[in-house]
Amino acid sequence: MNDHPANPALPRRAAGASPAAAAADAVLATAQALREQIGGEFHDRLAETIYGEAGRLADRAVTRPGAARRFDLDRAVDRIVTSRTWGFPLMIAIFALVFWVTIVGANVPSAMIASLLIDTLHPMLHRGADAVGLPWWLSGFLLDGVYLATAWVISVMLPPMAIFFPFFTLLEDLGYLPRMAFNLDNLFQKSGAHGKQALTMMMGYGCNAAGVVATRIIDSPRERLIAIITNNFSLCNGRWPTQILIASLFVGGVASPAVASVVSAGAVVGVALLGVLFTFGVSWALSRTVLKGEVSTFSLELPPYRPPRILQTLYTSLIDRTLYVLWRAVVWAAPAGAVIWLVANVHVGGLSIAERAIGALDPLGWVIGLNGVILVAYIIAIPANEIVIPTVLMLTALSVRSVAGMGAGPGVMFEADGAQVLAMLRAGGWTLLTGINLMLFSLLHNPCSTTIHTIYRETGSARWTAVATFLPLSLAFVVCAATAAAWRWLGLG
Amino acid sequence: MIQSVLSRLTGRPSSARVEREDALRHLQLMLAGGHDPTVQSVAGALGVAPDRAAAVLADLERRECVVFQAGRVTLTPTGQAYATHIIRAHRLWEQHLAQSSGVPPEQWHAHADRAEHRLSPDDVAALTERLGNPTHDPHGDPIPPPHGAVVPHHGMPLDELPVDQTARVTHVEDEPAMVFAELVMLGLYPGAIVRVVERGPHALGLWVDGEHVTLTPLMVHNVSVAPLAAPPAPAPVRLSALPIGRSATVAGLSPACRGTERRRLLDLGFVPGTVITAEMVSPSGDPTAYAVRGALIALRRTQARHVLIQPAPPEAEATS
Repeated sequence: MNDHPANPALPRRAAGASPAAAAADAVLATAQALREQIGGEFHDRLAETIYGEAGRLADRAVTRPGAARRFDLDRAVDRIVTSRTWGFPLMIAIFALVFWVTIVGANVPSAMIASLLIDTLHPMLHRGADAVGLPWWLSGFLLDGVYLATAWVISVMLPPMAIFFPFFTLLEDLGYLPRMAFNLDNLFQKSGAHGKQALTMMMGYGCNAAGVVATRIIDSPRERLIAIITNNFSLCNGRWPTQILIASLFVGGVASPAVASVVSAGAVVGVALLGVLFTFGVSWALSRTVLKGEVSTFSLELPPYRPPRILQTLYTSLIDRTLYVLWRAVVWAAPAGAVIWLVANVHVGGLSIAERAIGALDPLGWVIGLNGVILVAYIIAIPANEIVIPTVLMLTALSVRSVAGMGAGPGVMFEADGAQVLAMLRAGGWTLLTGINLMLFSLLHNPCSTTIHTIYRETGSARWTAVATFLPLSLAFVVCAATAAAWRWLGLG
Repeated sequence: MIQSVLSRLTGRPSSARVEREDALRHLQLMLAGGHDPTVQSVAGALGVAPDRAAAVLADLERRECVVFQAGRVTLTPTGQAYATHIIRAHRLWEQHLAQSSGVPPEQWHAHADRAEHRLSPDDVAALTERLGNPTHDPHGDPIPPPHGAVVPHHGMPLDELPVDQTARVTHVEDEPAMVFAELVMLGLYPGAIVRVVERGPHALGLWVDGEHVTLTPLMVHNVSVAPLAAPPAPAPVRLSALPIGRSATVAGLSPACRGTERRRLLDLGFVPGTVITAEMVSPSGDPTAYAVRGALIALRRTQARHVLIQPAPPEAEATS
């Protein structure tokens, strides 16, 4: 094939040069000499001179009365906020407070919305549908499927976000958050990430989609991708209820009643901390492998402290973050509700699609210490983590027909009190291993579809979206399979 | 045959072509350096047995790229143009990696070794235009013009620099990668200002941008310098050496700071003449916040090493 002597695209030059060619060579040689004389850095010199000149002009023309005093006050605050003694305790205290207020404060409105939308409005709508004479499948599809899933997501998601995001925005507005990034940067630097990732992680505890949007504050391409891909390991508020429920039923159930609540709370915190470890580990691995060639720079400005504009903050955080994320979630949850209802009610050869899928996935579920019900629930509840547990319960009730009186009918998601749920799950074959692995799987598995969509919008790349989706998912499978194998090898269950 | 079809399909150059091109590059570099290439030296450069190297040379002769004259191997004009293209592609790609990627310095060479076989003359022309027609690669090797000659980098070996003579680093050899990585870590890069402090039998004490480092003979051997007739006085030092609470004037950015990183620092106000103050260190030890033109900017230590400052005059230190 390569029959030409060398590269055909290279222009060849005649060996014996004419006078004209010799003159051209002389010109080229002069140009080359001049270029060497100027040096390769003249672009930089030019830029530096322009910046330097602009600085001199500004110094001559601009005065800042009072700026010095403000600056001194800021430095005094900074010395406390970033001190070796007070920096970290202060940070932990502030965030413990924010989380505590969010969890405690969200309970009441969450329960109110749930009782309104699910306990009151849902039966009312059913009665209305019956009165109008809607066929059972249409009212089931619309009310038990679409409506119930959407109501569930709103009641679980809205209150915590409406509390957490304004708090977060206030801290941001105040100027405290960049100091936090400043305090923690060394930790992130060691794993190849940016200190500001601490902030996007925090945001991720509210909602991963919001966390992914928040990575815009990281202006270095490599570190931003790391922050996007690892945001999933911050337990979002749709996954906290799963963790808390499973920990109290299975992990707390093992301990003696006196310490059960402490043990189960410890298990949830442990899982959250494991998420932080995974964030650092995966960041470290990413920055040394697939992301190695991406451009990396660091810059962190510590802006002056400002009194927060509370009303404006409330408005923007409600509109920009809470409603934006909620709307996305609702848009995804409604179709998911429809699918959940359909798989439980459409029968193929005597069995519902859900039951067939559960049977098919049971072997895989066993390998990773879970079961077919959980895997099916995670597949159809991709749009929102909030509906995983209600879907699991519905599917368990569907597949464990022996538990009489449980459930609200095929395709209707429900929640019940602890003892009932535990009895039903045990009838479904759940063990302590299932509980622990469900907690691990919930921490590590792929982000919800809202987040995946957001990642695609933010990165504009199908490749990075795929990495951000399948990397956590495969990690979840590997970790759960390893746990299950170790558990069985040790003869624990 | 199958291999060349495969290479067409995958867009990857065949191994035979890679060998030919590597051999041409070796011949060109040896000849430019005034050495006589041999079958043995080609075998060493390609990492193959002498038989294989001889076969590659025979192949190149059949393609009219090399001629054997009186037992010596030389390049034909065609071979020269081809070799120049490969060297140019290699060095431009290294410059590209230095300017617009996050690939660490010790891996530039290995990346460029693969890229040089992949880039067409058109690719190279587009690359040099995008990079602003650089004259040297990030190691200090001159990038040959499209049809010009390959000239070795000039500069004297650091071994020969007299004690106390200030000089500018002109070239840092990138092979072996381990030694190069150590040199990078110590802050030796083309453009750095150095001064030999002491010369021992097994080590060389060196000032590099205001910091004292010790080099092993192997490391010294891989650095070339050009003595400065009029050294800057006082020689700039690194911002990372500025204690908290002290102020200094920026002298400039180190040439080792490139691309996006450099533009970012310029944007933030780290330009010659700016007065900056080290304000506070993160409780975790890094980064450090500096007051620059009324803003508070945190820089990591690796970045602060790239900002050069005028050392404070002694009397100013006494009063502050």
